[in-house]
Amino acid sequence: MIWVYRLGFLVLLVVLWILAAQRFGRNVVPTPLATFEAAQRLVAEGRLMSALGASLTVYLSGYALAVACAIPVGVVMGGFRLLGKTLEIYVFALAATPRVAFIPLIIVIMGLGVDAKIFIIFLGALMPVLINTYAGVLAVDEELVEMARSVGSSRQRIFISIVLPSAVPFVVAGMRLGATIGLINTVVAELYTAVSGLGGLLAIYGNTFRMAEYFVVVITLAMVGVVVTEVLRHFETRLARWRGAN
Amino acid sequence: MSVVPEDLAGGEHGQRSGLPPAIRFDGVSKTFASAGGRTAVLAIQDVSFTVEPATFVALLGPSGCGKTTILRLADGLIQGDTGQVEVFGAPPKPGPNIGFVFQTFRLIPWASVQDNVEFALKSPQFSQAERRERANRHLELVGLAEFRHAYPGELSGGMKQRVALARALATEPDILLMDEPFASIDAQTRELMRIELMRIWTDRRPVVLFVTHSVDEAIILADRILLLGPRPGRTVKTIEVELERPRWAYDARAEPRYVELRSYLSERMRELVLSDPSSEFYGRDLAPPPDR
Repeated sequence: MIWVYRLGFLVLLVVLWILAAQRFGRNVVPTPLATFEAAQRLVAEGRLMSALGASLTVYLSGYALAVACAIPVGVVMGGFRLLGKTLEIYVFALAATPRVAFIPLIIVIMGLGVDAKIFIIFLGALMPVLINTYAGVLAVDEELVEMARSVGSSRQRIFISIVLPSAVPFVVAGMRLGATIGLINTVVAELYTAVSGLGGLLAIYGNTFRMAEYFVVVITLAMVGVVVTEVLRHFETRLARWRGAN
Repeated sequence: MSVVPEDLAGGEHGQRSGLPPAIRFDGVSKTFASAGGRTAVLAIQDVSFTVEPATFVALLGPSGCGKTTILRLADGLIQGDTGQVEVFGAPPKPGPNIGFVFQTFRLIPWASVQDNVEFALKSPQFSQAERRERANRHLELVGLAEFRHAYPGELSGGMKQRVALARALATEPDILLMDEPFASIDAQTRELMRIELMRIWTDRRPVVLFVTHSVDEAIILADRILLLGPRPGRTVKTIEVELERPRWAYDARAEPRYVELRSYLSERMRELVLSDPSSEFYGRDLAPPPDR
């Protein structure tokens, strides 16, 4: 049923798009049909797929690296209260600094290549996952911890069987946030460092007013975002089957 | 239905010489920091009592008299500031020999009913097969065998508390600590849960410390009632119930002893609340219930 509504809204969007194309002229806003034709062209030339491949490679590498670092650090910070208290203020400070501010420094140190791009994405996706993991570990139900103590569980067992599972929903929420920010940073990285991937196409077509092609790239980015967050949402519901009963 | 042996049926508790009492509190006090951390709150002051094996003791008192603190001390979850707590002659250690039933059930929401019960059996003394067998047997005992694959979120309050009871009983502990276990259950279910508990207790005879603020619950279940006063928590009086067991076999509420105990305890509870400066009823001139 929800798909019918979603499809209905898509139709509405396309209608608005057509109206906008008429209102602003097709040199500024291309019609859906022109955009579709541009997409066919780009796919036939192979440019879209190679750009998408390049973007996904840096995006998924940076994101995977961020998740792989953020979860253990968040868990350790939550598990050792003193360490967490010491570090949290720096983590929050880093999270609040616009990551774009680091790009010149990153370019000076790492150059303009793939490494620099992956690092920019890593930096963007790291903080939401880390902060959410940390918060999830701290948000454990103290009553459940006491119950586990009362049956004679060791500290390690309480951490593994009570604290970590209860942090999972937080971690997955953080991963979803991180995935979105990582995608934004992918485009930012491709614009600021060596121009490549979808961000690169965006710059080329935007600067040369090839709006139909430009629109194809924007829509492709939106679709990547949808696919990634939907995959994580699916993952989330699978993990939290017990929640469905409530 | 088996007839309860004379010497266990309440009243005289066999003082078996040589054996230490099951639970002994000797001059125990405990202070907590208040929520803001600025002031210290004396939760219980100079609490002393002993419980012999196979005795069902109710800790009765209005809120704020440290009933839960006493249970946590008896489990060894916290240590007293002064005095001594001993369980079978040694300082208590949380584990399979002491079962704890909490008021808010405290089931693991992401684990099935079966896994929740087995959670209490994860010590090396039980093999995997024995865990399974004990969990099944105790889920059967509380009538939830067919729900073993359900998640706690799919169960009603009464069923959740039965899972918690099965978890506490599964290790077959010598001591069962129960913290207002039926307080968040509807009245009808509560009534049946009491009978269920009495049947299980009659069968196994663990020492039970049962916290309640219900006079009726205390009388119907316990061999002995420890009346506690609030702020700071302290023992006010110890009362032997002396009603014949099993009490579900007849209408215990019609017995003269029940009526006498009930009106005495209700009156004392009322006094305790009215003389508590922290109570919303403090100092109010509330007439006692009219005599019939």
